[in-house]
Amino acid sequence: MATTGRRGTWPGAILCVLTLLAAACGGGSGGGSAFGLAERPESSLDPGESADTGASAAGEGGAQVLTDLSGRVTISGSSTVEPISVRVAELFRDVAPDVSVTVDGPGTGDGFKLFCAGETDISDASRRIKDAEAEACAEAGIEWIELRVAIDGIAVLANLENDAVDCLSFEDLYAIVGPESVGFTNWRDAGSLAAELGSSTSFPDLALDITAPGAESGTYDSFIEIVLEHIGEARAEAGAISEDEAATTRPDYVSAGDDNVIIQGIDGSRGSFGWVGFAFTGDAEVKLLEIDDGDGCVAATPDSIAAGDYPVSRSLYIYVNSARAAASTAVSAYVDFYVSETGLGRAVSDVGYVVLTDDAQATTVAGWYRRTIGG
Amino acid sequence: MRLGRVFDDRTRRVVTSEVYRRSRDVRGGLFRVLLQIALLVALLVLAILLVDTVTDGWSILDGRLGDFLAGGLRSQSGDPELGVFQGIRGSLWIAVFVIVLAFPLGIGAAIYLEEYAPKSRLTSFIDLNIRNLAGVPSVVYGLLGLAIFVRGLKDLTGGQSVTAAGITLAVLVLPIVIITSAEAIRAVPQSLREAGYGAGATKWEVIRTQVLPYAAPGILTGTLLSLSRAIGEAAPLILVGAVTGFLGGQSGLVDVSQLQERFTALPIVITEWVQESGRDRGFAPAAAAAIVVMLVVVLLLNSAAILLRNHFEKKR
Repeated sequence: MATTGRRGTWPGAILCVLTLLAAACGGGSGGGSAFGLAERPESSLDPGESADTGASAAGEGGAQVLTDLSGRVTISGSSTVEPISVRVAELFRDVAPDVSVTVDGPGTGDGFKLFCAGETDISDASRRIKDAEAEACAEAGIEWIELRVAIDGIAVLANLENDAVDCLSFEDLYAIVGPESVGFTNWRDAGSLAAELGSSTSFPDLALDITAPGAESGTYDSFIEIVLEHIGEARAEAGAISEDEAATTRPDYVSAGDDNVIIQGIDGSRGSFGWVGFAFTGDAEVKLLEIDDGDGCVAATPDSIAAGDYPVSRSLYIYVNSARAAASTAVSAYVDFYVSETGLGRAVSDVGYVVLTDDAQATTVAGWYRRTIGG
Repeated sequence: MRLGRVFDDRTRRVVTSEVYRRSRDVRGGLFRVLLQIALLVALLVLAILLVDTVTDGWSILDGRLGDFLAGGLRSQSGDPELGVFQGIRGSLWIAVFVIVLAFPLGIGAAIYLEEYAPKSRLTSFIDLNIRNLAGVPSVVYGLLGLAIFVRGLKDLTGGQSVTAAGITLAVLVLPIVIITSAEAIRAVPQSLREAGYGAGATKWEVIRTQVLPYAAPGILTGTLLSLSRAIGEAAPLILVGAVTGFLGGQSGLVDVSQLQERFTALPIVITEWVQESGRDRGFAPAAAAAIVVMLVVVLLLNSAAILLRNHFEKKR
């Protein structure tokens, strides 16, 4: 599903793995990092160096064994990012078998609560940390390093048999599930609101059945943030809705915490509508709608998401407790491994997410090795 | 005699038809059919569920049962190390805690309530409360476990550990153990006790040699069924902090040093895999296979209960 064949095209971070693993087998790592390298020279981030050796080092990322490394790494947070962290932990186990990694996925918000209470080393997040959460962390004296690890597109779904709708604009989406759509039971109802907002999409005469993530879900927050919020704010200024309603959806739809239930809901009705993380669409029997954000209709594909062409996509992050990373070689070694090609490339694509572009990966690697505190 | 002769043939006819008129008893027959349908529906639902689950999980149960029983939580359904071992381990340790804590406490409380406690307003109030506790939703026990065993007694349990989970579920089934044991003790005929006292036995001797052996089959059935309930619970474990994603660095079924470590359990594994099946379809058969494994574990426990009951029934 995800982009492949990137291995040889990203020498900077690959070289980093090579250097790190070489340093580790050189023995005697006494520094702040498991691999004895707290900071990497700037030059190794430059692309174009020893791509071939780099590729082979990344390929055998699991071959090096750090038997003297032990300790714990506790990870919690987004259930969306959970599979990536688990996959990294599985691959990391081959490298450092005595490090015990625990990964949990109660949700991004719950994860930050634990993280800012100092109960976890790393927090998985399907959005960036909120100001209130960052304040809670600051009050507890916890400093964090934000690392972008993958991209997740949000697929907008309709029933396979719905021939009438192929491509929707953000205005159309707002008309279907925005705060002003309360009570719309037919696609036509949404059509008149969409026309008012300046859309020319024609809507079918079909019963509208919405099954989508609920307010507890990171996918719900992301959908509002990406699609609905700015239209909602404009409508609030125009006086059509109140300020409080700007960043909300209509409350009257079937909300489900389980992506599987959403897929079933979409499959179950001809006039269905919903959205779900792109990774969860897999081979599901649903229609992925194209989205037009002013630059024409774009279908959700791994390529269009990675390139940033598909408008409804979001980045996935991990937040590392910097004091823990400095104190525990197990934690820092795990993150070293996470930002290596094995983590950002192989693990991400293994579990069905979209791999970051080379530049974005280099930014993540740099953020980690410079221990950049804050976003 | 005269009357008899007059009614002789008629009476015989009436009686015969009353006795053999089954076909004319329409309402009785209808009721019987309804009862049979009720039974059939119940069994049919169960059979459909079983067949459906086994069919869904067959690819794993048939293909890689050994690996599946030895594996753990994984990110991909195709991983050869994907399996239920970590879940079985957690569930069995929870069972051990229930047996060690809830059984002696529950049976002891039941003996006290039935044999020693005076029949006062206080005891009937306590009795009422125990019955209410048995009906409290299990999530509430999860909250209790989170507050007391995970947070309050962190030094003892190690926080979100299998110890905290085991104690929480022991507390959860305690009222059920008390109620079923008390009922079994109440069913012991009073004449047995009186005979014991008549022969000069003390209260303790009567309880030990007469009441408990007689009540043992009932107590065992009730307590072991409550153990099955404890093993099937998922909601309290989520609150106590069962791990859903990845549980590294654990091995061995009986490593006591890991009792204060993070854990997972069979119902949690099943819940997680059902959710993951949205991302990776292959988790659906894995979840079905895990359900079959859990059914087998529970059935083994129940059949142990039946064997023990038969053993004690023969003794009495």
